[in-house]
Amino acid sequence: MDASADRPGRRRSLGQGPDVTRREALALAAFGLVAGLPRSGFAAAPQGQLTWGVHTTLAPTWFDPAETPGIITPFMVLYALHDALVKPMPGQPMAPCLAESLSASEDGLSYEFVLRRGVKFHNGEPVTAEDVKFSFERYRGNSQEMMKNRVAEVEASDPQHVRFKLKEPWPDFLTFYAVASGAGWVVPKEYVKKVGEDGFKKAPVGAGPYKFVSFTPGVELVLEAFDQYWRKTPSVKRLVFKVIPEEATRLAALKNGEVDIVYSIRGELAEELQRTPGLTLKPVFPPAPFWIYFPEQWDAKSPWRDERVRRAASLALDRKSINEALTLGLSKLTGNSIVPDIFDFYWQPPAPVYDPDKAKQLLAEAGYPKGFDAGEYTCDGSYSNLGEAVVDNLQAVGIRVRLRPLERAAFFEGYANKKFKNLISSGSGAFGNAATRLEAYAVKGGTYAYGSYPDIDALFQQQGTELDQKKREATLHKIQQLVYERTMYAPIWQLAFINGVGPRVGESGFGLIAGFAYTGPYEDLTLKSG
Amino acid sequence: MKRYIGRRIGYCLLSLFLLSVTIFFFVRVTGDPATLLVEPGASQADLDAIRHQFGLDQPLLVQYGIFMASLAHGDLGQSFYYRTPVLDLYLSRLPNSIYLAVVAMALSLVIGIPSGVLASVRVGRFWDNFGKLFTLLGLSLPSFWVGLVLILVFSVYLGWLPSSGAGTPLHLIMPAFALGWYFAAAHMRLTRSSMLEVLGSEYVKLARLKGLPQSLVIAKHAFKNALIPVLTLAGINLVIMVNVATVVEVVFAWPGIGRLLYEGVTFRDFPVVQGVVLMGGAMIVIVNMVVDILYAVIDPRIRLGS
Repeated sequence: MDASADRPGRRRSLGQGPDVTRREALALAAFGLVAGLPRSGFAAAPQGQLTWGVHTTLAPTWFDPAETPGIITPFMVLYALHDALVKPMPGQPMAPCLAESLSASEDGLSYEFVLRRGVKFHNGEPVTAEDVKFSFERYRGNSQEMMKNRVAEVEASDPQHVRFKLKEPWPDFLTFYAVASGAGWVVPKEYVKKVGEDGFKKAPVGAGPYKFVSFTPGVELVLEAFDQYWRKTPSVKRLVFKVIPEEATRLAALKNGEVDIVYSIRGELAEELQRTPGLTLKPVFPPAPFWIYFPEQWDAKSPWRDERVRRAASLALDRKSINEALTLGLSKLTGNSIVPDIFDFYWQPPAPVYDPDKAKQLLAEAGYPKGFDAGEYTCDGSYSNLGEAVVDNLQAVGIRVRLRPLERAAFFEGYANKKFKNLISSGSGAFGNAATRLEAYAVKGGTYAYGSYPDIDALFQQQGTELDQKKREATLHKIQQLVYERTMYAPIWQLAFINGVGPRVGESGFGLIAGFAYTGPYEDLTLKSG
Repeated sequence: MKRYIGRRIGYCLLSLFLLSVTIFFFVRVTGDPATLLVEPGASQADLDAIRHQFGLDQPLLVQYGIFMASLAHGDLGQSFYYRTPVLDLYLSRLPNSIYLAVVAMALSLVIGIPSGVLASVRVGRFWDNFGKLFTLLGLSLPSFWVGLVLILVFSVYLGWLPSSGAGTPLHLIMPAFALGWYFAAAHMRLTRSSMLEVLGSEYVKLARLKGLPQSLVIAKHAFKNALIPVLTLAGINLVIMVNVATVVEVVFAWPGIGRLLYEGVTFRDFPVVQGVVLMGGAMIVIVNMVVDILYAVIDPRIRLGS
């Protein structure tokens, strides 16, 4: 039963009203499924050790949800050490965790969470509404300014209830609070006050399935199972995350049995992994589509102004061959250039087509029967192999471009500062939903939008204040359809993040949480028996 | 003498000041770190918030002033990526780098000096030709390649050594060899040329004319004198090994200063890059200053001449 029923004011449990998002509807289903699951009283004691070869350097800031930047990597650690009111879980994009239920007011101005009873932090303190309030208020990671500007007040009326009051209706509140930031992850207020901010990073205490044991900067992080974790007792006793930045060394460590799981193995090394008996290749799909952008489509003098030319460029791409050559055919070929398929309000366009003859025909109709010099194809240098393949495809139909790979920071700086011309190739793994992705890339004033179309801008404004989720969804679908029909972007793929798993691992956790690049949830991971 | 030492210290401070200016402005030419601290597609507000948080929205001269003021208090700043003081990071990695450098240096001397001596006394014969080949390979094979081959052989095929990481003496063997390999070749080459020079000198000829055995001439008269430039180079190489063993440390996931520098560059972590370069520069400048002063103590003509 919804605990808010005996509170003043009309409220709706999410998923019951006509205006719920897909996420919220799934969340409701999850309330019934997960919240009702009794915790096993006879869970086996955690045993054994799992060791990771991590591709990037672990930072102490990742131990603290308040510091979450706008990148996915810290969640690799947060899922082990901490827990959130609601968070993406297997089969549930917004599953109840520390909250057992959630309701929103009819006017969209407040959200109330009822906390699960008996949940404790690693130090034995109970998780309370005051901790939730404290965690939100101390949050200083990505999107914090936007959230704090829109949230008027957080009320912790009693230890089990917390209410977020908004200044005005904000349909994306849950997306940002529960998915796109670390603001909904809860830390123990008393402990943080006692040890201080630096002390917390040195010895973090959370409510997640694993407790902090030790951290040696640049070497490894060691965690141990928290047998009082509310969802289930973890199966594996000890987790060790070893930092191994060099890809070939990571693979060697996996083959040698020094680690059980490695992240990010690409190209020939992925093939080697696939060939090695006993090792398993595990691709996952973070929300990171790649595309070609036509920044001159608003320039009357540019060939790219003509939609037929842009469509020709898209038709020239032999995505299947590129995929097989570069990512073993594992990346997803998608028609939606910029919005990943796991995002709310995603619109499914037709699959991309490879048709070089049609591309040449379109170029001829546009006045370029012999093709044209298309200038530069600027891309992030870490994906220059992809750029080379795409440039070859474009040249094959007569679009003569030169590859211009730039160092990553310089590329994104130039992209955002609108310094590039001709063709730009990029991708994005930023959190959010279709609206946030469109805002950055397809709407007037967007960080990476070199121009826009008035009808798309108007539709985008309209959806921003729409409280009826179905109407909002229809509007966002319409925008994506327009982006597709005008070939504002040419899609390439949704990149597969390829990982490796050793022979000792039972359940690796790869792919259990949709869109999550790493292993998780950690309490579900197992070692093979014997 | 006091004036001489004072002047040397003045030159040191000037060198470090120029180094601080150079590194401060050069790292900022490389791009905006905010774009690497968020996912591509992050909002302008998030990018601005990061720039504000790290003071990157301030004019460059103001940023430099803050940097120098902190430096005057022994504060190298706070890492953008780790959000911890750079000095703490540096000091936490320093023992690993010293450990690796000392072992790699010992290996390079144990290999380089005897083979250099052997080559010098067997000019044009097997050991000399072998030494030339060794030098060629040592100086031309990239250390990352040597490292990967070592991993493949000793970790993957033979399973004798751990492929990466730190913590036990076994972890040290391959990175020390990969790092020491290049320097062994350099030391071998210098030892050979230095020995040849000394062996051709008048006092060695005299020793031979006096009828001293060849082994005694080489060991007592030639080798000791030939060793001076080798050890001088070894001292400088040791400082280089401590501070810029970047490739080897990355390949073997060795948690040293070289890898810290690599991480700093990768993440546009300006304070880390500045800190590592300045600390490395300070080491070299101080070592040079001490050597200069010692020379002056030993040879009065130097201080008088200056």
